[in-house]
Formats: sequence, C-alpha cells, structure tokens
Amino acid sequence: MWMAINYACWGISVLLALWMLYDWFKIDTTYSEDVLTSSREGELEAVSEKHRI
Amino acid sequence: MSRYIPPEQSKAGQIFDIAVVVVAIFVALWLPLKLGLAGAAKSIDPLDAKTWDALGQNATMASIWEKLGYTPETAHDIIQNRFHYIIDWPTLIIMAIVLVAYFVFLFRASDREYREVINEKFDDK
Amino acid sequence: MTAAVETGLTATIHGDRVSLLRVLGPAHVWALGVGIVLVGEFTGWNFAADKGGALAALIVCWIVGLLYTSVAMIDSEVTSTVAAAGGQYAQAKHIVGPLMAFNVALFLVFAYTMLEVSDAILLGDTIVAKAGVEGLTHNSFIAATIVVLAWLNYRGVLMTLNVNFVITAIAYVSIVILFFSVSPWTQGAVLKLNELVTPGNALPYGWIGVIAAFQFGIWYYLGIEGTTQAAEEVRSPARSLPYGTMAGMITLLIAAAMTWYVCASLMPWEYLGITYYPLWDAGKLTGSPLLENLLFIATLLAALASANGCINDAARAWFSLGRDRYLPSWFSAVHPKYRTPYRSILFLLPIALAFAFIADLNQAITFSILSGVLQYTFMSINIMMFRKKWPLGSIRRGYTHPFHPLPAIVLFCLCMVTFFAIFLGFGSQLIAMTVFYFLISLWFHFYRYKFVRRGDQFSMPWPKPQGY
Repeated sequence: MWMAINYACWGISVLLALWMLYDWFKIDTTYSEDVLTSSREGELEAVSEKHRI
Repeated sequence: MSRYIPPEQSKAGQIFDIAVVVVAIFVALWLPLKLGLAGAAKSIDPLDAKTWDALGQNATMASIWEKLGYTPETAHDIIQNRFHYIIDWPTLIIMAIVLVAYFVFLFRASDREYREVINEKFDDK
Repeated sequence: MTAAVETGLTATIHGDRVSLLRVLGPAHVWALGVGIVLVGEFTGWNFAADKGGALAALIVCWIVGLLYTSVAMIDSEVTSTVAAAGGQYAQAKHIVGPLMAFNVALFLVFAYTMLEVSDAILLGDTIVAKAGVEGLTHNSFIAATIVVLAWLNYRGVLMTLNVNFVITAIAYVSIVILFFSVSPWTQGAVLKLNELVTPGNALPYGWIGVIAAFQFGIWYYLGIEGTTQAAEEVRSPARSLPYGTMAGMITLLIAAAMTWYVCASLMPWEYLGITYYPLWDAGKLTGSPLLENLLFIATLLAALASANGCINDAARAWFSLGRDRYLPSWFSAVHPKYRTPYRSILFLLPIALAFAFIADLNQAITFSILSGVLQYTFMSINIMMFRKKWPLGSIRRGYTHPFHPLPAIVLFCLCMVTFFAIFLGFGSQLIAMTVFYFLISLWFHFYRYKFVRRGDQFSMPWPKPQGY
C-alpha cells in the first residue's frame, strides 16, 4: 500500500507542476508585462487607511 | 535635488542577475555542507560496563528505553554521545569581528542610501 | 522620462492594475503565524534537551519565550504602521535604508525556505518511519509536499490560509488532548517527571549547556514574526496584525509549556534530545494506539501547515524585492486571476526542492535559525530608530508597544546570547553565512542598487523623519 502512495505522490507532484507551468505560460502570453507587474507598494494603504492623527 | 533616473536593465542583464543570486544562494548554503563545516562537536565517551546502571539510568528510565526497543548495548552510543563545549577563542573573536563589521557596514551604507531616498521623496515636490 | 515611468503612468490611466487581494482576517493571521511555528513542538525544540538536558530545554522555553514576546510586540507596532507585503523588509526600507532592507528580505527568504525544507524532510521521514517498508524513501513525499503546497499558494491566499487554519487547529488540539489524557495533575501514573529529571541529570553540562540550548530553544517559536508578510492582504492590518500575532504568541507559549511537561515526563533526556518525533514518541509511550495515531497525524499536519505558511511568506518577501527592483522586476508579477505573486512562488519551488533532497534536517534547521537570529538583531535596532525618527504622536500607529525601550534591549541581549550559543555548535557555519551576506551586500550596494528608483521606495504617507 505504501508503495502505491509513493507512486501516487510522484504522480500528483508531476501533474500539479505541469499545470502550474501551463498556467504560467498562458498568463504570460495573454497579459502584457506592464499589467502583470503593475502592483505598487502602499497604494492600497493610501486608500483604505486614512493616515490622520 | 534632481530626480535619479535609473538605467533600464536589459532582459539578458536581468537573467544574469537572477543567475548570480541563485548561484550565491547555493554556494552559501551548500558549500558549508560539502566542506563539513556544519555540525557540532559531539563524540562518544565509551564505557566498558554496558548496563543501565553504569549508563546512569534508573529503573524508570531503563523501563522506558526498553519500551522504545533499546538494550544497554544499543543505547550506549546514544547516552554516551556527549557534547564537549570548548570555547575556541580565536574562532569566537573572528566571529565577533565578522558580525560587527557586517552590521556596521550594513547600517552605514544603508544610511547613505536612505538620505538620498529621503531627499528625493521630500524635497522633490 | 524613461520608458518605465511612462508605462507606469499609462497603466494607471487605463486603470489596468493587478494587486494582491485584501481578504484576510485576524484568524488567518493567527493561522499563518502559529501554523509556521507549531511544527517546532513536534520536532526541533527537543534538540535543546540534547544540548543541555531536560531542564535546560524548559529554561530556554521561557527565556526564548521572552525574546519572542519582545519580537511580537515590536513587530506589531512597526507593522501595524508599515503595512506592506514583505513585512520586515518594508519596515527596514522605511526606517533604516535600502541595503538593510535587501538583507532583511534575504534573511526572510532563507529562514522561510529552509524551514519549508525542514518541514518537508520531517514529513517524509515521519511517513517512512511509520510505514517501515524496505526500499521506501522520503523523496516522493517531500516532492508532493512542496509541489502541492506551492500549487495551493499559487491558486490564492484565502484558500491557502483557510486550509492552514484548519490543519493548525487540529494539530494544536492534539497537543491539548495528549496533555489531558496523561492525567497531568497526578505524577506517577503515566508521567514520571521526578524519576526522569533528577538533580543529577537535570543540567548534565551545567550552565554552559543552558546557553548552548538557546540555539534550538529558538525553534519553539521561530516564524511567528511571519504574520507581517500578510500585511498587504489583510483587510484591516492595523487591527488584525497585532491581534493575530499576540494571540498566536500566547497560543504558542501554552503549547510549548504543555509539550515540555509531557515529553520530559515520559522520556529520558538522552532519548528526547535525539528523537525526531518527540510528541509522536510521547503518544507511543502512553501505550494508547489512539493517541499514537493522533500524534502521528498531527505531526504531519503541523509540518504541512508550516511549509504552507513558509511558501506564502518567502514568496511575499521575494515579490517585494522585485517590486522595488532590488531584484529584476520580473518577480513582481501578480497573477491577474488568483492575485498571488505567482512567479516568486514558482521560482522558489525548485530551490526548496533541491535543498530538501540534498540537506538533512539538522542542517536545514540551523540555516533557518541563523537567518532568524540575524533578523531579530536587526529588529531590536530597528524599533529604536523608528521611535527616534517618528516619535509617538508624529504618525498614526495601529498599536504602540509598552515599556519601550525595554523589549528592544531584552531582544538585543538575548540575540547576543543566541549568537554565542550558535558559536558553540555551528560557529564556522555562522561565519560562512555572514560572509555570504557581506558579499551579496557589496554586490547590491555597488552594482544592483543603480537600477532602483530612489524616492519611490518610500511609499508610506508619513512626514519627513526627524534628523534628516
């Protein structure tokens, strides 16, 4: 039984790794680099937390 | 003060920088393993008489060892495997110097960069 | 104006921006902090007994508990004010300076990645020990742990931390169940503390052993400061972060005390010091198959929760480095659908896998501890500078910690003791690591920093710091 679990673990790892690679490729080719890297630090902070004393 | 415009980095440059960091990480973590630097000074002080009594185990301890599947012979190497704490002064001094030098450099260089950041952020409006 | 600045503007104009999602509450912060740390009760803390005896393990449990209470208080104050992904990295950037921030981020990534590696190895070894099948190695379990958790993290932070909450809670409850099922109020029935910890063997190495034990005493709590990494994804950071972190710290202090009491009352210290599964062994020694199996499963869940939180935290720190261009900005991409720093998660995955296959548990733990202690040293100095540059009242703080500067001083002193403890076991390792940080700092300061925009790094809406 343990050997079966062992192989199942390898299988799941490979499957999920391939899925992530596929999704990565899909996202990187669908969206432009500017959109993907458009997150800025403190941007939400300025909106959601009013900084008054 | 004028605004600092950083140069645009080429794709190849970006990949090269990633490679530098990855190699550095591997060297820092893997090299000490390879050189056998990791690991504390532990060694076995052998005993001739291999009984629970000689190993300093009372009846309760002995019963637990046995429950865990050990005999005095097999437990000997575990119980007598001891640390030998010796303060190696040269290494300690080198360590202290390296640590202090590192932190001093960190804070001084950071401060220089920080002043630039503050100047640009607050005077450039 | 350069192309980069222009594109930044265009993106704003079109409103086409992707950022991390603000979806987490205090329970998630608790799950992230305690989830990472709790595995320390299932393995790791007991090596402190190896270093100095059972009593030394208890003494460091309390003293290091004090160290971490200081860490939690200081961290809560700074991070409830500097609420950005990257946690201590963003703090360092706003308070000390860019080079410090770069180093802090590396401390974080190292500490968490190596902790993740330790968790995966522990999980693999536990399963192999349980199975007892010849020819079964831990590799497939390590791979599955790291890849499945990376996938979970890739798919979204809310689900990741919901899962963490559930498995951490189960692991925690199992410690409580173990504690109450061995009748802790009567000694002699199951627990035999006074026969196992005697005046003759309580401190086998004397006080130097207690100091040496600090190194692994850290493992009772290492990672609780990771709660700050969630700052950008928490709905109300100023409230949730201090609350979740403090609640986590209290939970851990209770768990650590219970764990020590049960384990030290069930095993001789020589065995306790070398076993990889102190709680699972404690379950076995009670003679109840139910408890044994419960603790086996709890060990696996604790390791999973910890690795899960570590992937989350390491990826956030790496992501922030990319966002400020400390590293190529390619890493700062956010997944448009799942809203996670997906490239950072993917990048760190093979690194974790590689180390999980080549390093052993003890070494991975030591790497993690080293980076942790370097970071705590920074934190003690950081809070002093924070209070000096922005005194109380000059900016709005989500939480103000009491007794300043006492916690900072306590933290600093305990860090020095821990450095000495590491020297007793892993002195050359510490020197090698520091030399690495030194060299990479030179690389950053003299070369890489030229790609960084200066003023943009300071993103908090604060007044100018005093003294500048």
